[in-house]
Amino acid sequence: MGGADAGGDAGPVTAYVLRRLALAVPTLFGILLVVFLLVHLAPGSPVAGGPEAGRRLTGRAAEEMRRQYGLDRPLGERFGLWISRVTRLDLGESFVDHRPVGVRIREALPYSLLLNGVALALALGIAIPLGVAAGGRPEGAFDRISSAALFALYCMPSFWVALLLQTLFAVRLRWLPLFGVASDAGGGALDRLAHLALPATCLAYGTLAFVARLVRSGIVEASAGTYVLAARARGASRRRALWAHALPNALLPLVTLLGLLLPALLSGSVIVERIFAWPGLGRLYFDSILSRDYPVILGLSLLSAAATLAATLASDVAAAAADPRVRDGTAP
Amino acid sequence: MTARPRRGLRALPAGGRIALAAVVALWAVAAISPAFSGRAREIHLEDRLLPPSGAHPFGTDDLGRDLLARVVAATPISLAIGLVAAAVSLGIGFTVGATAGFFGGAVDLVLSRVIEVVLCFPVLFLLLALAALLPPSPATVVLAIGVTAWPGDARYARAEVMRIRQLDYTRAATAAGASTPRILARHVLPNALAPLIVSAAFGVGWAILAEAALSFLGVGLPSPAVSWGGILAAAPAYIEEAWWLALFPGVALFVTVSAYNLLAEGLRAATAAQGSNP
Repeated sequence: MGGADAGGDAGPVTAYVLRRLALAVPTLFGILLVVFLLVHLAPGSPVAGGPEAGRRLTGRAAEEMRRQYGLDRPLGERFGLWISRVTRLDLGESFVDHRPVGVRIREALPYSLLLNGVALALALGIAIPLGVAAGGRPEGAFDRISSAALFALYCMPSFWVALLLQTLFAVRLRWLPLFGVASDAGGGALDRLAHLALPATCLAYGTLAFVARLVRSGIVEASAGTYVLAARARGASRRRALWAHALPNALLPLVTLLGLLLPALLSGSVIVERIFAWPGLGRLYFDSILSRDYPVILGLSLLSAAATLAATLASDVAAAAADPRVRDGTAP
Repeated sequence: MTARPRRGLRALPAGGRIALAAVVALWAVAAISPAFSGRAREIHLEDRLLPPSGAHPFGTDDLGRDLLARVVAATPISLAIGLVAAAVSLGIGFTVGATAGFFGGAVDLVLSRVIEVVLCFPVLFLLLALAALLPPSPATVVLAIGVTAWPGDARYARAEVMRIRQLDYTRAATAAGASTPRILARHVLPNALAPLIVSAAFGVGWAILAEAALSFLGVGLPSPAVSWGGILAAAPAYIEEAWWLALFPGVALFVTVSAYNLLAEGLRAATAAQGSNP
């Protein structure tokens, strides 16, 4: 019963949360270290010095880098300096327009939240019923067809799908706009929705395939459980046994993986936002890579990794609250 | 040893056997591709952006080059980068994962944090940073993919080695006083080999996709090397007039990734079936 002594009367969930938080501290340190090394050890990066350095950055930007990162100091001291700046939420200024990195991220964030939120809702909204239907009758006709289709989706590169959808829906049928957030004329909610349709679809289908496969196998496994059989014996309909008894258990592994959907969506955003000219975080990151805008690259990497860490922490805690077996490490 | 029920190729389910045939066929295409490399480079500006026809089954690109020849000529580089990058990823991932799973305790705690750190980053963020900030070369692409893809392999290897560590034969060897290197070499590694191969096959599929994504975004292979992703990079500019530029290189990519992933699923099913037999 170790760990519970921290709070005296702390419940089992609190103890689990404390243990999980303690483990997150070294992870956060590791994230900071990776982001720091990414820029400081890359050959040819302005701060690494060498013959490449001068060519890649103008004198002013290089000077800025030197000032911000204390390049005349030893590596360890630089790392300490950088951490102390980050803990004061000072991410520096963009090399491109000399505005604070935080402001540039805040400008792109609403676009990313909208696109990723719609994509996630689309993916979960389709994947869960699909997984339940397929897992309800494993090896049935629907299961075979949907499994094959999901497998195919899983193997399709998103940039290819994006180009095909653009060709079909924007160029041939002219139903949807090719790219952008809204028409120049402005346009109402319908116009914005039309602009959202293709990028959200491209961003969603990979997650959809992943989640549907997970739910399907969870349902198959849970359906074999005695509690589902017992529900049927008590006279629950097949549908009720699946949705009310098997599904909650099948969703548990999904809850623990929910946090890791965040970096997957952000990865997808880089490609989708580039093709559809969507001014979100993925586009900002890619543009910053091309213009070697190091403060923005650093800030975005750090924030997205820290957000993922927080999200995995939250999903672990949610799973622990839902299932005592997760708390004491006996989860199946 | 009594004979196992199904061995070799017959252990693979039908889908896996088809996938294996497809992978072999793709490498055969790669082998004959030098015959197309001349045609792939021939520029005929008067033939630019021709739709598919008898003379040009996949059509022509913006410089009048034959698209079929270009897709075929790109086969070896796409396949090879995928294979080598997956090997790099597997090498790092298996070493880290097996070490964590075998020794457990503090070693596992530290290595698991390392895995967690890498998983926290959007993989494309790291890939782009490495591919764009390091000098452009095939080695950079391979390294960037390998260095970012390994946590998946590591988690798989860790779970597998932990499982084997608990099995009776490993415990019996420990009880009999076998040394750690001997247990590793004689008991753990041979039994972790099958899952290792499954992991590698999935890894190739991912690495091919990752290389294509980098080349599509313009930070992949430097010219004159051309991969399927690189050919696709020209498609957005002509999306209004030349659908074939987007379609055919993507089909090649899709078929290859599907073949490797289907092979991996087949291998997984085969090893799972074998594991359940005494």
